[in-house]
Amino acid sequence: MNLLRRFFAPIVGIVGFLVAWEAFVRIFDVRRYVLLAPSRILTELFATPGFYWDNTLITAGHMLLGLAISLVLSILVGAALASSRFSEEAAQPILVLFLVTPWVAYFGSIKVWLGFGIAPIIFLAAFTAFPVLTFGVVGGMRSADPSARELLASVDARPWEVFWFLRLPAALPSIFTTARFALGIGLAATYFSEGRSNRTTGLGAIGSRVDLQPLTAAEVLWTTVFCTAALGIVVLIAISALERFALKWHASQR
Amino acid sequence: MAEPGETITLLGPSGCGKTTLLRMIAGLESTDVGTISIDGARPEVARATKRVGFVPQSPALLPWRSVRSNASLLLDINRGASPTAPSASVDDLLAEVSLTDFADAYPHELSGGMQQRVGLARAFALDAPLLLMDEPFAALDEITRAEMRHLLGRLTAPLGTTVVFVTHSIAEAAFLSDRVVVMSARPGRVVEQIPIDLDHPRHPDIENTAAFFEITARLRTSLQAGSP
Repeated sequence: MNLLRRFFAPIVGIVGFLVAWEAFVRIFDVRRYVLLAPSRILTELFATPGFYWDNTLITAGHMLLGLAISLVLSILVGAALASSRFSEEAAQPILVLFLVTPWVAYFGSIKVWLGFGIAPIIFLAAFTAFPVLTFGVVGGMRSADPSARELLASVDARPWEVFWFLRLPAALPSIFTTARFALGIGLAATYFSEGRSNRTTGLGAIGSRVDLQPLTAAEVLWTTVFCTAALGIVVLIAISALERFALKWHASQR
Repeated sequence: MAEPGETITLLGPSGCGKTTLLRMIAGLESTDVGTISIDGARPEVARATKRVGFVPQSPALLPWRSVRSNASLLLDINRGASPTAPSASVDDLLAEVSLTDFADAYPHELSGGMQQRVGLARAFALDAPLLLMDEPFAALDEITRAEMRHLLGRLTAPLGTTVVFVTHSIAEAAFLSDRVVVMSARPGRVVEQIPIDLDHPRHPDIENTAAFFEITARLRTSLQAGSP
């Protein structure tokens, strides 16, 4: 029963949402540029499935590479910050600044700096996810049991041993939680920067060049939105699955 | 001054500095005046060579490690200083604290008493000549506490390990110690040192003897004399 609910309930939710969306567009006769009915999106998607599949994979690659770099950096920086209150407090405003500045505005500068390859795309995905992940890492590492720290100190544990045996595992629950936010930001940044880059592949690149195909512009645009959302959901499910496996010991997974 | 193989208890009210003293011996806190030496070595040296087994107040088990790998945690850290030929394997120690069936369980599946038994096995696994215990049974219920002190008495008896045990329980002090150092709070100081002349090995039944009652009464009087 429980299992049935866990798989069945989300599907009911999604189908219900699509039906409401379709009905809304038809009843109020919404213009296709404003909002396209899901039936039209699916028609477009299945007309050229290979095209959307390939571009979704490219976007997935950009995003995952960016997030992976961001994760590694946030763990390194977060470990340094977690070991000193002073550096954490000094870094706090910088991280907030990274988080709140409109990257939409300065992406052009990043392109000038990093050139026309995929580097600016990867950079923006990593850069936007970095503050969120770092907050998660620092918070999680700080939550490590103080008496376990004493215990490790009593056998003269090296800093890397404290990191590896205590702080990193203790930070995992909060890293998994913040990874979901980082995914949302990173995916949006990837879609946006693909569109502004000089690349012609990737969902963002197609979505921002719909004026090249005037007849099907709305269909192509909304289908890239649909594929981006689907990509986000798939990665989110993967994160949840990994979390269930990696955090079997944690209260949240019982 | 502790003799090798002796069990000394620091007994006193909260705030008398018994935990601080223990942390100084463990090399976790520095001394303002006076020196501490362990087998002729400074606490920092004893710590670096893993000659001190520490049992903190909370079990401090790592929730992501199984019971067995929690028990071997201190061996995995600072490996260079781990004993090359320990007198008992981790599995033997788990058997001694009756946790063989739970070796692959995780800490959240254990009761408070079982968790602290893992904490004991973890400290004994180091084979250190000195064990420092900071009110290890303070959070347990009275019945489990009694079982734990009897277990600890059984574990330390044959090993000749020196134990410094911090507690505010008179029964624990009387049952486990060769000598009790009674301390008082504000200012933290030693009131007196009371030798416990009960034969070893001590069976739980001695807690019902007249001699044991006499000792607990003596300790209680001394504690009250130290309190303002």
